[in-house]
Amino acid sequence: MNTRSTHTATAELTLNRHCPLVTCGQKIERGERIATASDPGMGDIHAPFPGSVEHVDPYRIRIAREGGETVDPAILHDLGGQELLARLRELGADLPAREQVDILILNGVDEEPGLLSRRTLLAEKLETLRTGASALVRGYKPAEVTLAVPGGVKESLPDIAVKVVSDQYPQGLDPLVAKAVTGQEAPDNTLVVGLETVFHAGMVMETGLPVMETMVTVDNSARLISLGSPVGEILTSDGLTIHDGDRIVLGGVLRGTAAASPSQGVDRATTAVSLIRNPTPVAMDAACVGCGECVRRCPARLDPAMITSYAEFGQYEKAEAEAVDVCFECGLCGFFCIARRPMLQYIRLAKHELAKAKAQSGEETQP
Amino acid sequence: MKPLNPFALTVSVPPHRHCGTTVRDRMLTILVAMLPAAVMASMTFGMPAIRVMALSMATAVLAEMACDYFMDRETDVNDFHAFTVGLSFAFLLPASAPWWLVAFGSAASIVLGKMAFGPLGGSPFCAPLVGWAICRISWPSFMDIDASMLGMDLTYPLAQLKNFGLDAVQITDTRQLFLGKQLGGLGAIQIAGVLLGGMLLVMRKHVSSIIPVGVIGGVALTAFLFNWIDPSMYASPAFHLLTGSTLFGAFFLATDGPSSPNRQIPMLLFGLLVGALIVIIRIYGIYPDGVPFAILLANLFTPALERIRPKPFGRR
Repeated sequence: MNTRSTHTATAELTLNRHCPLVTCGQKIERGERIATASDPGMGDIHAPFPGSVEHVDPYRIRIAREGGETVDPAILHDLGGQELLARLRELGADLPAREQVDILILNGVDEEPGLLSRRTLLAEKLETLRTGASALVRGYKPAEVTLAVPGGVKESLPDIAVKVVSDQYPQGLDPLVAKAVTGQEAPDNTLVVGLETVFHAGMVMETGLPVMETMVTVDNSARLISLGSPVGEILTSDGLTIHDGDRIVLGGVLRGTAAASPSQGVDRATTAVSLIRNPTPVAMDAACVGCGECVRRCPARLDPAMITSYAEFGQYEKAEAEAVDVCFECGLCGFFCIARRPMLQYIRLAKHELAKAKAQSGEETQP
Repeated sequence: MKPLNPFALTVSVPPHRHCGTTVRDRMLTILVAMLPAAVMASMTFGMPAIRVMALSMATAVLAEMACDYFMDRETDVNDFHAFTVGLSFAFLLPASAPWWLVAFGSAASIVLGKMAFGPLGGSPFCAPLVGWAICRISWPSFMDIDASMLGMDLTYPLAQLKNFGLDAVQITDTRQLFLGKQLGGLGAIQIAGVLLGGMLLVMRKHVSSIIPVGVIGGVALTAFLFNWIDPSMYASPAFHLLTGSTLFGAFFLATDGPSSPNRQIPMLLFGLLVGALIVIIRIYGIYPDGVPFAILLANLFTPALERIRPKPFGRR
């Protein structure tokens, strides 16, 4: 494994529906909580190193490295159930909020081709995964636990059934893994947790300290990178030069987010950082040409052509009637769209607008 | 403050890669696929065929540009769709078609078949067939292949079958039919060329094989049924497949994206419907070659066929 540690001078932590708890100029310790999640299934955010807060806005917190102390480890061993889960979320593990979980699936299949982080975790961090898995079992109290792995992986976790799942995209995505394990589409009371979250929980249990690093695929290997490390620095320290018009992608090429600036930091959901040299944007503002490629490729058996056309013209109720909520955002429609329409963006727009309308009408308080 | 970066990143939504195929690639591949038939047509009919094809394509492109100009829209002619519409329309005409007929039909294909329904993708009918239907009904004598090609020593087997019965058909050798030694739409009857191009489209995955298979299966099945009832009166499946524009329709016209269904089962039903209608129109209709009207009729069924769809993932 590549053990080069990244000691960056600054860290930028991306806020994703988090409320910042710090102000500019404030001195912080390593592991101090700097933002709380406003989403029930999300973990809080902590400082990856001691320093002072340089910049705070609703989207990011930037910290400059200075000397300082580390927070005291938390004691978690006597906790269980929802109490443990809540405590783990406070320490930065993104554990979904669920009342009842009958089947817990730990997804060890890398979601997209080219990603190696889950495979590397299985190969190198098995002890931590074991701790994390037992913490999750104590927290969610499921009747059954299954570890889904791609073919060729020999590692396993004690007392956990192993299910080999195809890693042909999109079979590694959570809903399809749930189907492969249970044999049922969208089964009730089933929770799929990504292996990186299991690893985060394991680290918290082992050290008592909040999540401060994650496994990230860079180039052709995966290594632990501390949260908030600027993506530009990760790539340049790997020997790459960033040119005008390039894009830096956090995550896989089909589902990942493009970084807004090279100083944007790695967050817990980042499975890969890659540089794509491609001067023209993939998507264009074009009308649907009705070729039907997306309809035939959609693993959720939807009609992305109609959904995106409705979203394009603001007819979100019709998109809802076309079952836009079933979409698990694999991005294949946009990959195969010969008109190069921004399919996934239209789908996300429709979902977002529908959730907003529901929240406003008071039918549901959760998005 | 750190200095501003010397570069600007591209920010876009996922996916960050693309399969690489664009509308332009697809249309260019369709044009390449039509090339063998076009070459065979020029060899069989000479300059008149080249004249019709060139005029039809030029009119289609100009008509689209004019529409875009009057609709105050940026033109998309560089995606080559107008070229494919123009060439498909020319493929259905007799080589002797007068210039005004070619120009009018080609322009009508673009204006009424495509531009009236917004940009590419909105049209409920296969565009070249709209122009063909207008011309066929308005100027039957000029569109009548038998009457307008008296100078050729080839014969139009479908008209012979329609007018004089099965015994009168002079070309019964399937090899002759296959090599295009017959009359009909100038490109559509170049069976060998059309088949080669169709294979290219299917193999390069620009066209799903389901619709062509459905059409060919539908023609073969329906023709076989009639032939089985009375072999002395109804032609064999091979005859129906190798005459007129059956194969051209199967590979190039019925597969038109916006006017055909998108899912597998509706596509197959659509193809079978086209195939059955071809034979039924040829037997009971007044038009010798039923292909264009069969496809136009089946296009009307597309919205109904699209309603046959699986339940979305996880819905019970």
